[in-house]
Amino acid sequence: MASASRSTNREPAFLLTPGLFFLIIAFFFPTFLLLAQSVLTVGPDAGELTLEHYQKAFADSFYAGVAFRTLRLALLITLICLLIGFPLAIIISRASRIVRSLLILMIVLPLMTSVVIRTFGWLVILGQGGVLSWVLQALGLVDGTVSLMRTEAGIVIAMVQVLLPFMVLTTLGNLNQMSPSLEEAARVMGAGFFRSIWHVTLPMSAPGLASGAVLVFALSISSFITPSLVGGVRLPVIASSIYQQMTGSFDWGFGAALSVLLLGATLVLMVPYLIATGRLGGRS
Amino acid sequence: MTQLVVQSVVKRFGKQTVLNAFDLEVAKGEFVALLGPSGCGKSTLLRIIAGLETPSSGDIVINGRVVTGLPPEMRNIALMFQSYALLPHLSVLENVRFPLRMRSQASRAEQERRAHDALALVQLDQFTERYPRQLSGGQQQRVALARSIVAEPDLLLLDEPLSNLDARLREDMQIELKRLHETLGLTTIFVTHDQDEALALADTVILMNGGRVEQRGAPEELYGQPRTEFAADFLGGANILELEVVRRGDVLMGLFPEGSEVELQKSDGLEPGARKFMLRKEAISLAPDTEMATLAASIETQNYLGSQTRSLVRAGGLALVAVTDPVSAKSKARDLRIGWRPKDLIPLTS
Repeated sequence: MASASRSTNREPAFLLTPGLFFLIIAFFFPTFLLLAQSVLTVGPDAGELTLEHYQKAFADSFYAGVAFRTLRLALLITLICLLIGFPLAIIISRASRIVRSLLILMIVLPLMTSVVIRTFGWLVILGQGGVLSWVLQALGLVDGTVSLMRTEAGIVIAMVQVLLPFMVLTTLGNLNQMSPSLEEAARVMGAGFFRSIWHVTLPMSAPGLASGAVLVFALSISSFITPSLVGGVRLPVIASSIYQQMTGSFDWGFGAALSVLLLGATLVLMVPYLIATGRLGGRS
Repeated sequence: MTQLVVQSVVKRFGKQTVLNAFDLEVAKGEFVALLGPSGCGKSTLLRIIAGLETPSSGDIVINGRVVTGLPPEMRNIALMFQSYALLPHLSVLENVRFPLRMRSQASRAEQERRAHDALALVQLDQFTERYPRQLSGGQQQRVALARSIVAEPDLLLLDEPLSNLDARLREDMQIELKRLHETLGLTTIFVTHDQDEALALADTVILMNGGRVEQRGAPEELYGQPRTEFAADFLGGANILELEVVRRGDVLMGLFPEGSEVELQKSDGLEPGARKFMLRKEAISLAPDTEMATLAASIETQNYLGSQTRSLVRAGGLALVAVTDPVSAKSKARDLRIGWRPKDLIPLTS
């Protein structure tokens, strides 16, 4: 009896091994190297412990601004993805089979395109004399040409398009499991359309919305290509600064310190999510 | 006083007509069963009354008010779903309070008191802080029931209320529902495909078939005097006999395929010619007395059912099923005479 239960306890460990092995090689080891690099000196007296890279990051108000912009954009992108993604997921979950497949395809399609090509697409739309400018002029809303290139609004628009599928698909998972009779029951019990969504659909899809929000936030805080191409050099985000340090200034120590700070910020922001999902998971 | 009027309601889904000019009136305090096989339109009718479906034409009047175009939340009704539809993220008390909260009836304390009272009525007031998933199926049903009655609706609708329970609980719930109806006097309409449930609970049974009313009446009337083969068969099952009606002087006789004849009770519209009759299984006696119409028969096989015995008998060229008490069934030889009171052989209209 005892040996049988011990062997069943060991089985999950076997299943875990390949994933754990990969994680150690591809994630924990490089992260450790990064951590090491961020606290070691470079140059002639290389290999000494130091905090100079971190001091540099905190001393220079330029990087505080970059960090603030990155956080602000990530929060805004997450919020907009929530506001668009939740209703969209509801519509998809109630659509007929064919419409549902088409909508999912439309939402996932951007993920199948290279990020560079997709971003150049936005250049055509948002740029000087682009489609957006032309439409606004045709409608008589603006005089002369407009451009959202090299603006934060442009970055947000382009990022929302890329990250929306993560929000929609995670929420859709919850909505598909929800019995349609729950909302009908709420209606019969006196809740109007919006109140039934607020009191029933929203709490029922909260776990999906939370995972979606974390995914979107984590991906936008660390995104690099889209902000660089749409925002340009005058609107750097943390990831593009790190890239700049590593490949332009060859200041690996400082780049590593910035990376560690980004990682730390992301982990801190994961905490509320873990608490919330722990609570939600216990309830549902 | 009339609480609900369904006025020539038609419902089409594409080319399929689910309800065909359906009319129904339900008096205040009445307990009505919509009975029928699946696909007869009974659930669609319930959803139309609740406002979850819109009729293709026709009107719904609740408490003197035309509500046809109104959404469910604007009709003062309650609907208990077959799946109970308890909100999993809310406690038992919050679930029961929900209709009061959504309708902003009374203060929060008053709402909680009424939710407590409703739960006490279904003997669940000790579980107020639990969540639905922590309750058994029977308990969940009681919560759903408490939630349906808490706001004192004009109309209580129940969709297959007992179908998810096992036989034992179902019997308990039948008693509970009847008791609750007698206590509160709520006008209640319930949908079921189970004839036992309809007979046990309702004041009025509406038997539906193909989107129309097949027959409506008190349970005794529907069971005792079915007008059609469908009604006879759906309510309890019965022997359907195809006899030739012949006139012998003053009386009408039923001629069996093998030539034997039995006397028929006079009734309106009964004329010579081929006619279908219903004979309940329990109306057949294996020990007929002098007032019965009798027929020579042989027992082909018997099933012992505990409180009853079911016998397959062959008589007059027809196979008949008789359900009798086990004692009289056991003592019978294979060849015997069977009989029934003439009034139990009921002519059907096809």
